[in-house]
Order: sequence, then structure tokens, then C-alpha cells
Amino acid sequence: MEDMLFYDRLQFAFTITFHYIFPQLTMGLSLLIVFFKGKYLINNIEKYNNAAKFLMKIFAINFTMGVVTGIPMEFQFGTNWAKFSELTGGIIGQTLAMEGMFSFFLESSFLALFIFGEKLMGQKLHFLTGFLVFLGSWASGWFILATNAWMQHPVGYEVLENGKFVLENFSALFTNPWLLPAFLHNQIASVVTSSFVVASIGAFYVLRNKQTEYGKLFLKTGVIFGLISSVLVAFPTGDWNAKNVAEYQPASFAAMEGIFETEEAGAEIVLVGQPNMVEKKLDNKIAVPNILSFLTHQDWDKQIPGMDQFKEEELPSNIPALYYSYHIMVGLGTIFIGVMALALFFLWRKKLYTLKPLLWIIMFLVPFPYIANLTGWYTAELGRQPYLVYGLLKTRDGISPTVSSGNTLFTLLGFVALYMLLGLLFLVLVGKTINQGPKPQTH
Amino acid sequence: MTGTLISLVSILIGIIAANIFGVFYKKYSFGFIGNTLVGVFGSIFLIKSFGRLGFDPWSIMQNESFNITLFVVNCFVSILGGVLGLVVAKLIYKKLNK
Repeated sequence: MEDMLFYDRLQFAFTITFHYIFPQLTMGLSLLIVFFKGKYLINNIEKYNNAAKFLMKIFAINFTMGVVTGIPMEFQFGTNWAKFSELTGGIIGQTLAMEGMFSFFLESSFLALFIFGEKLMGQKLHFLTGFLVFLGSWASGWFILATNAWMQHPVGYEVLENGKFVLENFSALFTNPWLLPAFLHNQIASVVTSSFVVASIGAFYVLRNKQTEYGKLFLKTGVIFGLISSVLVAFPTGDWNAKNVAEYQPASFAAMEGIFETEEAGAEIVLVGQPNMVEKKLDNKIAVPNILSFLTHQDWDKQIPGMDQFKEEELPSNIPALYYSYHIMVGLGTIFIGVMALALFFLWRKKLYTLKPLLWIIMFLVPFPYIANLTGWYTAELGRQPYLVYGLLKTRDGISPTVSSGNTLFTLLGFVALYMLLGLLFLVLVGKTINQGPKPQTH
Repeated sequence: MTGTLISLVSILIGIIAANIFGVFYKKYSFGFIGNTLVGVFGSIFLIKSFGRLGFDPWSIMQNESFNITLFVVNCFVSILGGVLGLVVAKLIYKKLNK
């Protein structure tokens, strides 16, 4: 049983991690596309239109990869997590179906129109199609987050005698107090990723002295959007999210902050330290006193319950993984603010385009927003363990009882091989698109 | 479980078919990137629309045994999806850009 649970979780973790590489870029990139297209409508300068169309090509490749890697996610609910689907399908089925019916169709239909229909529609309608792609991709995030918010903080449900969850209040799914902060945090984080990607492409063009007009445009836009979104992802959205965890999942909050023992007054914030699960303490700790209490409750001396206040079964099942995921996300977020603030300073001093070391840093920083986004999701998901639906349904009770661990391992190996192939294809496609650049080819 | 893998293999076949068709019939080609994207959606569209007739991944793996005939039909429909996707996309593209 434990083997089955382990492989089912491993397979889901692998497939969702690979899948989320793509939507996190498309959601943020759609905003930048609308920005460039809007600037073109206002200023009528062709380079903004070319920039929007170029980014839409990158969007389309990511969107397609997202669709391909999303298919196994859909199937896994039925194959690996049949019990979970059977018990909660009446609730999560609503939001997941809406994601497919409304958001996916909106996004894919207008994506095709944006790519093919510029001449036919004219510029204002072309802008509108871009805006509808943006709306579709953000609505997709909204419905997925509504599903996850219900799993993190279940509301508006009733449990029948056969153990099935049914919806008692439909609107409660969307007024769930967990949803809005999680949605905003997630969407702004996707803007961080796309800003870094756009800035990185810009740095690449400037460093190679190729398409420099667009290189400078992408650098400037990426740096400005990157700094604004990096700040917003920390405050207020990240702060709001952390307060939600402290209120609704206090055991997870203690674990992710590494609070093993409750302090009498005022909890410290840990900057560095390694969880020692044998002695129940943090090794080599560097901490600042009372800051966590202030950030969470705006009270320097407010007590925050540590892990010693909870029963063993109430605590997350993998505390070190949760602690490290959270701290990697926060650490990277801090680095992003620093780098983008520095880049904006040099942009203001008109030195950014010639400052090669900083351009190299911006170019090679591109994997890190992806890592930050993924570790953010690991924090949310590991924090909810050992539950699938927090406080109500344990993860071990949601797996398919008839699917053997050997079967899951076999398909996991198959996924690894196919995803390597897809990953390679993705890199070739994106590489070719970036190499062609946004400048229209003259024949 | 293996059904999920088969659905991914179908998509890859659609991609390959669209690219090969694009090489031989240049007037329908969108280049490597375009052909790949159209191949994905073409194969998904046909398999999702007509697979329920009896050759979707679940039917191929019914009763835990692999049905090779249905798999071949599935592959053929994926190829068709990639090729038809390219033809239809080109027609729409030409209509929209007259």
C-alpha cells in the first residue's frame, strides 16, 4: 500500500512539474503580448506589433506543450486517483470542467485568430483577440486555483453517508478565502517568469549584437515588469498567502517556517538552517527574533504555535522537503528583486545595454523563476500532506486500490522517456523561433 | 495506465506525419514549428472526436491486454489528423489572409 502511494505521488509530482513549466510562461506572457499590442495601437510604431506577434509564437509553442503534457494529468485522476475522483468528483469536477469548457476553448480559439487573422480583422479586433487569449489563460488559472483552494480549505460541501462529497453551495467555491490570494500570488509569479524570459531574450540579442532594436525593447520591458512583479509577488500577495496558511493550516505554517518549539513571546524568522528531524531542531540556524510574529500578526510579541503544539499525524509528512521548498522560493524571490532593481538602476543611468556582466546574469537567470514557481507549488502541496482534502481525506485513501506500484512505475518510466523527447522538441522549436527573431524577413 | 502513454505516442505520430507531409507538399507547409503545432492539435482532434468509435487508448488496453489492430488504427487516425490538420489550417490561413 505504501509502495503504491509512493509511486502514485511520484508520478503525479513528475508529470505536474513538467506540465507547469509551460502554463506558468503562457499566463504571464499573454499580459506582455496585450501590453505590446496596446502600445502599437496607441503609438502606431511597427516594432511593438512585431514584438507582440513574436511573443505570441513563443506563447503558441508553450501552449501546445501545455496541452500535450496536460493530457496525462487529466487521465491520472481516473487511473491513479480513482478513489479521490469518485469521492470528490461532484465538487472538483465542476471547476475542472469549467476550465476546459470556458478557458481552454477561449484561449485556443482566439490564439488561432491572433496568429492567422490580423489582415482580416484589422488592428483593433486583433488587439481584442490578444486580450481574449490573456483572459482565457488567466481564467484557466482561476479555475485550477479554485479546485486547489477547495482541497486546501474545503468550503460549501456536504459529506453523504457513502463518504462522497457533494456541493452544497456553488458560489462558495469562488468566494473561498483561500482562492483570491493564491490566485493573485500564482498569476503574479507567472508574470515574474515571463518577464525574466523576455528580458533574457533581450539580453541574448544585445549580447550577440543581433536584432538589437528588439533586444533593447525586450530588456527594458522585461526589467520593468520583472521588478514590479517580483515586488508584488512578495508583498502583498505572498504575505497574504502566508497569513492564510497561518490561519487555516497552522501546523503546515510551523513546518515551513521551521518552528520546532513554541517560543513564549514573539517568533523568530529563520534565514538559514537545516531541519534535524532526530533532535527536532534546526541546525546551524541564523534567525532574526520576533520578525515572524510581526509579519504574520503585526504584533512583535504574538505567540506562533510551533510543531510541538500539534499531534504527529497533524504535521506535514515531509517536513524537510516542505521547509526547503519554501525557503528556496523565498530566497530566489529576494534575489530577483535585487537583480531587477540593479538592472533598472543601470537602465535609468543608460548603461544597461553595454554592461555585459549584468546582461550575462540576466540571460542565465532564466531557469530560476521556473524553479521558484515550482518550489512555491511544492510548498502548497507538501504543506497540505498527509491530506488530499485538508482535514477530511487522507492522501492514502485517494489512490486507486487496483493499480499496482509496478504498473505505475512502468508508466512513469514511459513518461520520463516521452517527456525527454518532448522537452528536446520544445527546446528546438523555441530556439528556432528566438533565432529567427521578431524582425520580419525581407525577401 | 498504459493508455495514457498511448495517447502521447498518438500525438508524436501526428507531429511526425504533419512534418513529413509538409516536406512533400510544400504548399501546405507552415515550416517546422508551424507543422509541429498543427500536428499536435490535428491528431488530438481526430483521436478525441472519433476514438470513441472503438480505437481510443482505453479500448486498445481493454482487459489489460494490448490490441495491436486497434493500435494500428489509432496510429493511422493520428497520421490522418496531422495531415488533415495541415490542409485545413492552410485553407483557413489563406481565407483569413486574402
